[in-house]
Amino acid sequence: MEDKIGVFICTGYGIAEALDIEALCKVATDEYNVAYCKTVESCEGAGLKAINEDIKSEGLNKVVIAGISPRQYRENDFPQEIIVEKVAMREHVVWCQPPNDEDTQMMAADYIRMYIVKVQKAEPVEPFQSEETIDKSILVVGGGITGMTAALDTARAGYEVRLVEKSDKLGGWLAKQHMSIPTKPPFRELEDTGIDALLAEIEANPRIKTYTSSYTSKISGAPGLFDVTLSSNGNGTSSEMVDQFRVGSIIQATGWKPTDPRDNLPYGKLDNVILNVDLEAMIKEQGRITRPSDGKEAKNIAFIQCGGSRAKEHHSYCSSICCLNTLKQALYLRGQGDDAKAYIFYEFIRTPGQFEDFYRRVQEDPNIYFTRGEVAEITAGDDGTLQVTAKNTMPGEQIRVKVDLVVLAAGMKPNSADGEMIRALEEAKVTVKEGESDIQRGEAAKKVEELKHHEGTEILNLGYRQGPDLPALEYGFPDSHFICFPYESRRTGIYPAGCVRQPMDGLGSRQDAAGAALKAIQCVEMTSRGEAVHPRAGDKSYPDFFLQKCTQCKRCTEECPFGVLNEDEKGTPLLQATRCRRCGICMGACPERIVSFKDYTVDMVASMIKAVVVPEEYDEKPRILALMCENDAIPALELAGQHRLQYNPFVRIIPVRCLGSVNSVWVTEAISAGYDGVIMIGCKYGDDYQCHFIKGSELADYRGENIREKLQQMSMENERVELHQLQINEYYRIPEIFENFHKEVIEQFGMNPFKGM
Amino acid sequence: MEAARNTLQEKSAHREQGNTPAIPGCFENGQPILVEPDSDFVRRIGRRSGDAFMKCMQCGTCSATCSLSSDVNPFPRKDLAWARWGMKDRLLRDSDIWLCYQCNDCSARCPRSARPGEVLAAIRQECIVNFSAPSFFGRWMQRPQFIPLLLGIPVALLALALLLVGPIEDALGITRSLDGQILFTYSSMFPHWMLNSFFAFFSLLTLIVVISGILRFWRAMKSTIPRERYVNPARGLGASILSTLKTVFIHDNFDQCTIARPRYVSHLCVFFGFLALAAVSLWVITAKINPMVRGDFIYPFGFLSPWKILANLGGIALLTGLVLMMWDRFRNDELVGPGSYFDWSLIATLSMVVVTGFMTEALHYLRLEPHRHLAYFVHLVFAFTVLIYLPYSKLAHLVYRTTALVFAEYTGRTSVGGVNGDNLLQRDTIDAEEQTKAVAK
Ligand code: SF4
Ligand code: SF4
Ligand code: SF4
Ligand code: SF4
Repeated sequence: MEDKIGVFICTGYGIAEALDIEALCKVATDEYNVAYCKTVESCEGAGLKAINEDIKSEGLNKVVIAGISPRQYRENDFPQEIIVEKVAMREHVVWCQPPNDEDTQMMAADYIRMYIVKVQKAEPVEPFQSEETIDKSILVVGGGITGMTAALDTARAGYEVRLVEKSDKLGGWLAKQHMSIPTKPPFRELEDTGIDALLAEIEANPRIKTYTSSYTSKISGAPGLFDVTLSSNGNGTSSEMVDQFRVGSIIQATGWKPTDPRDNLPYGKLDNVILNVDLEAMIKEQGRITRPSDGKEAKNIAFIQCGGSRAKEHHSYCSSICCLNTLKQALYLRGQGDDAKAYIFYEFIRTPGQFEDFYRRVQEDPNIYFTRGEVAEITAGDDGTLQVTAKNTMPGEQIRVKVDLVVLAAGMKPNSADGEMIRALEEAKVTVKEGESDIQRGEAAKKVEELKHHEGTEILNLGYRQGPDLPALEYGFPDSHFICFPYESRRTGIYPAGCVRQPMDGLGSRQDAAGAALKAIQCVEMTSRGEAVHPRAGDKSYPDFFLQKCTQCKRCTEECPFGVLNEDEKGTPLLQATRCRRCGICMGACPERIVSFKDYTVDMVASMIKAVVVPEEYDEKPRILALMCENDAIPALELAGQHRLQYNPFVRIIPVRCLGSVNSVWVTEAISAGYDGVIMIGCKYGDDYQCHFIKGSELADYRGENIREKLQQMSMENERVELHQLQINEYYRIPEIFENFHKEVIEQFGMNPFKGM
Repeated sequence: MEAARNTLQEKSAHREQGNTPAIPGCFENGQPILVEPDSDFVRRIGRRSGDAFMKCMQCGTCSATCSLSSDVNPFPRKDLAWARWGMKDRLLRDSDIWLCYQCNDCSARCPRSARPGEVLAAIRQECIVNFSAPSFFGRWMQRPQFIPLLLGIPVALLALALLLVGPIEDALGITRSLDGQILFTYSSMFPHWMLNSFFAFFSLLTLIVVISGILRFWRAMKSTIPRERYVNPARGLGASILSTLKTVFIHDNFDQCTIARPRYVSHLCVFFGFLALAAVSLWVITAKINPMVRGDFIYPFGFLSPWKILANLGGIALLTGLVLMMWDRFRNDELVGPGSYFDWSLIATLSMVVVTGFMTEALHYLRLEPHRHLAYFVHLVFAFTVLIYLPYSKLAHLVYRTTALVFAEYTGRTSVGGVNGDNLLQRDTIDAEEQTKAVAK
């Protein structure tokens, strides 16, 4: 079909007052020969209606609207098949540049050019439709409080659920509790754990199919199409296949395990020094607390907090539940007689939120004694008692107490596996066998040693090229965009919830389960419509690989942060489209430039770059290309506009899906087109990254090497390309970044000699 | 978090190097003390201080606020920790609890409303019970149900004394006619010699209790600080007593309170009123043996006798002070504290003494029979009550506080007031707060 492009320039919002609208129209009609250029009064209501009428009457199939930012549209009802591009003439030009200025007009004209080129290159987006039907049932791995709640919540919402538990019955830690900390106002008294009701409800729910003593021995496929194989735990070595089925998404609620307490405490050396989990088991089983050494009822107990938590030797995070647990266990003890005494030694008591009320209630008990302090020594007396010496306590520099039992508050470690590490281990093992040189084999052997503790830790057994489990962080918690999207993991359609995600109490776990259930449902629903989930929720485009030209370099399969791409034996990428988040990082990675989206291609952006009119060197009007991430940098730029911050008039901005989608060819294209420099602005990366695609901005930085090489070949200075990390609230830095680049880089190295070539 | 943890560790390291002086009395024979909490003590302190001290989170705001607390001995914070840990022994031996005048600046500032001021008061109460023998008197003083018993004792003793010298009717000027009708006759006053020796005897008993209390208390306090820990080059005992008395007389510690400023005035009135009345009483009781008394000792005094004038002025001061105290407690209980039973019972008894005293005086000058005798009897009962229960009632603070102050001077554990500038600052902010409150009203 012959393209028929219409350009609409909005005259409202102060745009007509600042720009020569007629001249802009001329750019469209004269330079690009578009069918149609018209002004409209606004980007809403009547204005949009007028545009829609024109689309119909003129038979337009591609439309550019120069007005407000696409993020600011309140209505968006254009026909499906029409390609519409919105130019933020107000935010990017009018608000940030002096009105009726020559440079301002040039900027506006350039944007008109860029977006006309963009629509020229764009093709209508068709959502991904799998040949097989998308399954909407949900798999929950782990039958503790989080798993059970998630299963129930999902089932109540009308979805089929498979609940898999490794041990022989559901319940997890909840089933091991004697009682539960208060979960409702006024947060004062212990409660029944509610486990029986929960189990009965699960039993009675026809939508939930429960498997115990089983584990997921294999999960292949992708969201909507996960093929799961369950196997029985067996008796150690042999395990049999239990069932095979397909699910749409997965909730991983595999919970936690206690940490080993600190080494300086005689746990394991003295009988009467036990862990909080041991005490819970004891009272659950025999209804009272006794001394393991002689079975005598315990009257006095010292609780020592942060058994393994918040210590460099173990893990520096707070396990968040052990303080509450100790308060609860102190109340158990107080039930054993009016003279029973509990001493609690802590560094901080942490009772988040409303649990503070529970803490206060426990403080009211005159026979529960709290002090901050460090336990220096635990010694055994001859009558089975222990003496605990603590220093820096509140009642005195050092005090001793005599007790029957010492309870250490063991912290929480997630029951997770680090997929990437497991894969690295496997690869290293292969290299040890097949490595090319002794050095290579030696290095690999070292790596095997280093990663050996990951051996056999698999939980999900995913059939993903990047590893059989979710990628994890330092302490084993699954990686996610913690700041904005904590429920997400780096595997689309797999949602960790509960203590495997972050230490939390039972109440928190229930809430987390509900959150994950909603996420899982959202995932199957959006997948069935061929839409992306977070953060480009609703995006229907997806990457297309022109595999005839693929050189099997494996950059895309390696760099995709979401493990979307599997490989065949030769190393050709196999797209699992429903796993894809549409970040375009593969597009930025591919040296052959064979990855493209219908509405976002390497060629399209390169053409936009080239559409800008670059003035001659003696005009003293440099051009700076700014590639800015759509997630934070572009909204920040709009904020700058809202604050009317003025910035350098020589900058031309192109929004990109992620800095990771920037293909190095764009930079070289820009330089050869005569731009004097390129600025890339993306999200923060590193340990506390804010990159919405986890690794995008980091990869852009890492690929900078590649770009520098190319610049060198063109004998251009490295300094002409800069990368900045920007948080959304740092909008005020934008003018400064542009200005400094102009002053420091362009004025130092001069204008680009390629101009006009 | 890591950083926070490090600074914490640094802090404790800092503490270990001994940069912050040790809280005395936490080591025994070089060993850290073994804490065996007395939970009844915890309960009692709780009950008597408004059941709020469990909420204390050891933030130290109270100690920082208190103008009498020093960096070295940060009360009331540490005392709240000890109290919460049921460390009764340690608390009773701590002179710091007596340095506090319960201005309640700390209670007003406590972010947890733990009422530290009231807690110290409750501990002082415990201290009185503990050191004034026999301790059951002290315990009776704590409970309203013992009022009849406690008042019954002086009534019975006085009545007995009167009976000893003759029928009670004689003393009251009552005779019976032959047909059984009661007639009032004009009779002499209660026999003075009898009353004098009676009061003198019980004063002596009280004195013995007081002295033994002081000695025991002194020894207990001393056991907490080894000689070499005395901070200043210790002053002589005499010098310490002198400077303490000066402090007590001019009330300069009271003067440092900010929130409870009115207390300064009311306590000053009560203090000097009480002193004046005690002096007059002593003069009367000891008249027979007093070499300073020349000529006939005429009692009751005439209205214009200097002693009578002193007594009347004292009575007025005492009454004014007491009324002010009551007013404060009603009006301002958030800041001054509502007052405990212990506290109220002393105010009530002293008020009764003054009121009945003035009544007797008025009836005496009006020559109203036998009312003046009845009133006098009641007055004597209350005066006697004050006297014999002095070591067990709140009045005992006179004894123990003074002793503790002397001890503090003597050992260098003086209550060093905060930096003056600080204090002024506090006062200003509080004034400003009061003003805003007033405006809001
Ligand atoms: S919850 Fe309490 S005991 Fe547990 S790690 Fe945190 S501070 Fe330590
Ligand atoms: S890199 Fe991004 S766009 Fe490419 S396959 Fe992975 S998730 Fe999809
Ligand atoms: S990056 Fe491009 S060339 Fe390399 S494997 Fe992927 S698709 Fe093929
Ligand atoms: S009494 Fe109040 S002000 Fe003093 S330490 Fe406790 S909480 Fe803080």
